[in-house]
Amino acid sequence: MPELRNVIVFAVGVGRYAVELRWVREVVTLGFVTAVPTAPAALGGVVNLHGTILPVLDVAALLDQPAGPPPRQGDGALVLEAEGTVCALRVDQVDHVASLTENEGAVVDAAGRPLTLLDPTRLVRKALEVVTMAAAT
Amino acid sequence: MSDELDFDPEELAMLRQLFRQEAHDALEIVTARVLAGGSARPGAETLTEMMRVTHTLKGAAGTVGLTTMVDLSHRLESAFAAVGREPSPWGPSTADLIVEVTDGLRAYLDELAVEPIVAEQSAARIREQIARIATVTDRASYSEIIAPSPQDSLSIPTSALLEGEPPEPVLDAPSDRMDVPEPKSYLRVEPERIDALMSSAGELLFDRTRIERRVQLLRTMSRDLARTRQGLRDVIERERLQQLGETEAELAGQAALLSQTTAALLDEIEALRRTIGDLQRGLVRIRMESARNLMTHAARTLRALRRATGLKVELRTLGEETEFDKAVAEQLVDPITQLLRNAVAHGIESPEERVARGKPAIATVTMRARQDGNLLVLEVSDDGRGIDTTALRDRLIETGRWSQARAQLATDNDVLDALGTGVSVRGDADELAGRGIGLDVVRQAIARLGGEVKVSSTPGRGTSFALRLPLSTSLAQAMLFKVGGQVYAIPAVHVVDTCVVDANVSQTQARHETLPVLRLEGLLGNGTAGERRPGVVVTFAGKSLVCTVDKIVGPREIIIKPLGPLLAPLTLYAAATISGSGKVQLILDPAQLVRRVHPDAPGEVADLTSQPMVLAGRALVVDDSRAIREAMTSMLGREGWIVDVAEDGARALQMTRQLRYDLVVTDLEMPELGGFELIAHLRKDDRFKTTPIVIITSRANPEHRRRAKDLGVRALVAKPITRRKLLEALAAK
Repeated sequence: MPELRNVIVFAVGVGRYAVELRWVREVVTLGFVTAVPTAPAALGGVVNLHGTILPVLDVAALLDQPAGPPPRQGDGALVLEAEGTVCALRVDQVDHVASLTENEGAVVDAAGRPLTLLDPTRLVRKALEVVTMAAAT
Repeated sequence: MSDELDFDPEELAMLRQLFRQEAHDALEIVTARVLAGGSARPGAETLTEMMRVTHTLKGAAGTVGLTTMVDLSHRLESAFAAVGREPSPWGPSTADLIVEVTDGLRAYLDELAVEPIVAEQSAARIREQIARIATVTDRASYSEIIAPSPQDSLSIPTSALLEGEPPEPVLDAPSDRMDVPEPKSYLRVEPERIDALMSSAGELLFDRTRIERRVQLLRTMSRDLARTRQGLRDVIERERLQQLGETEAELAGQAALLSQTTAALLDEIEALRRTIGDLQRGLVRIRMESARNLMTHAARTLRALRRATGLKVELRTLGEETEFDKAVAEQLVDPITQLLRNAVAHGIESPEERVARGKPAIATVTMRARQDGNLLVLEVSDDGRGIDTTALRDRLIETGRWSQARAQLATDNDVLDALGTGVSVRGDADELAGRGIGLDVVRQAIARLGGEVKVSSTPGRGTSFALRLPLSTSLAQAMLFKVGGQVYAIPAVHVVDTCVVDANVSQTQARHETLPVLRLEGLLGNGTAGERRPGVVVTFAGKSLVCTVDKIVGPREIIIKPLGPLLAPLTLYAAATISGSGKVQLILDPAQLVRRVHPDAPGEVADLTSQPMVLAGRALVVDDSRAIREAMTSMLGREGWIVDVAEDGARALQMTRQLRYDLVVTDLEMPELGGFELIAHLRKDDRFKTTPIVIITSRANPEHRRRAKDLGVRALVAKPITRRKLLEALAAK
């Protein structure tokens, strides 16, 4: 059954992604990023956002692809909330907000190009998993 | 002079210390009253109060044998009397002069305690200044420079003007009134004692954070265990592995126990969190002071700015009664000074420009303190020209900080939020305050306190800066140091010393001991052990070690921020803090550092599971109250029971069909299926014919006891259940 999704479309590295707006709290410019030694590549660091400490995640690493460059001050990021966890997802470019049709997990943008529709719940679970693995080794 | 007094030296020293505090308070009242009037001559009532305070001071100074102070207070009192007479010597600079005298007197008293000779020189200067107060000055210049009629000089307290409330009652008695309201009784405590308590409370916070993280891990483990068990069960059912079934059941029990214990622990941590919170709030309340001191400071700053710039501006203050933690208030002095400079340098137009725009010639800066839920808000607003967001937007693009697209999407509020993050409104920074640069400093100071700055502005109407601060801050002492270009912290209580560590050693001498060395530059950075480095001596649970670092920054008071669930598995970090410039700094967990060189030290999660548990058996607790189920689970768990729970008899019956239990503890009154019905069913089942059953109930009448006996119930325990009652019941035959 095709469904209409309100998404924000963005690019990270060579990948183009979409995430439903209901997960997105804010679009921000990252402040100083503090590296977290011993953390996996998927956790690029932590930042201070309005006095709260947020982990900055690398979407590619969480999808088992090579991680992008570590996040830096001035990078763009989406602030997502899922599974009771608030985190920032580093992005290279935020394209636009759109209503796109999901067809069996696949979404295409207005120009017909395929987008990866992200599920923040799974991203957060995956992040917890890789951090736990890194801590154990 | 002091020789003639009836005090021994120690007592006198103490009394003088008390006098100094009292005098500071009294002089502050005088300062506040004078500043409240702007440049205008204080009214008769105010003058009376100023004289009364000074008079009291004179008497107290005499009691503790400070003759110079007696003389100075006497002269000041007389000068105030002169101001009150007609023609009054009051002039444009008299208010400033009085403030200089009160400030001078306070400095004099402080000097007196350490350098009496210097103090005498100050006294001579103050005497001369007091003489000038009572000297008539040129009245023509007065009206020329400052034109306000008394009504125009808006000042403390003026809540009436904005809120429509009646003005604060002013002393209306005749000028010779001396009766003062009954003073409240206060306890004077050395601030250091409270600070010590505060830092202990801060420590508790570290402890709590550490425990919380362990329990978060436990929870993850117990979820994993439940998943593994589910997988195992699927295999068992598919492959019909009967023998494994029993092992699986054991595992199920252990998983349930783990998850229940974890849940109970989380509840206890929650209780601990509340208690620590109460403790900290209580301590902070002891250190609370009203915003009045800050407002007085602001008034003083504004006077200085007015003199420096020649601008006509008055201060209006609201919400002086709002209370701040003293430590927080001290941190707010610089930001407020900066905001006032900002307002004067950028916000306020020249009187001509103001008149041309139809505004009063005299500008108003409003300072308002208030509590907003869990936040303390301090607003500094001016009625000046406001911020030109269009120009600011252009500057953001010009400087390459924003792209065209971003600037177009941004709201005016977004643009204002960018202020103080490296952009100035004016092209070049003014000597008083580049609006951007100055605000940068403000943002840093507020970020350090865990707060934020909100800017709002209406072009032509004015600008408002709201400093929003958490009501209670979790302050703690920590030792800060640098490794691999980043700053880290360790709770100060676990840092006993610093030292220097030679290159390539794995042990070093520190505090008359040979201690193992942990190379943090290797753990946290890419450094090598090939050079001499500073070391931090860390101790935890009786074990010590030396951590090498790149550079020691020093001890600091920090605010503890949780790292959140995603970072919980990284046990090396206990929490984080935010630096003055808004950077996150990680706090290392001393327990983990110690463990890396003393593998047998306590504190590792694995220790929890390595404790062999003596199993008493598997118990089923049936009760419709969750609290009782939790309590029983915890009590029985401590006795070595694996506990399953059911919320009513029906559910319990269902569970007993799948598993055998060595003990059943049940309530009587429950929905669906009551306790007696459950027991009756169980006794019909061969597996439960002789199983010990304990009834817990809030009403145990003889009829209940008889039925219980008939059903072979081991014991009937009246609620509330204590551990002792439970143990007795279990031991019963």
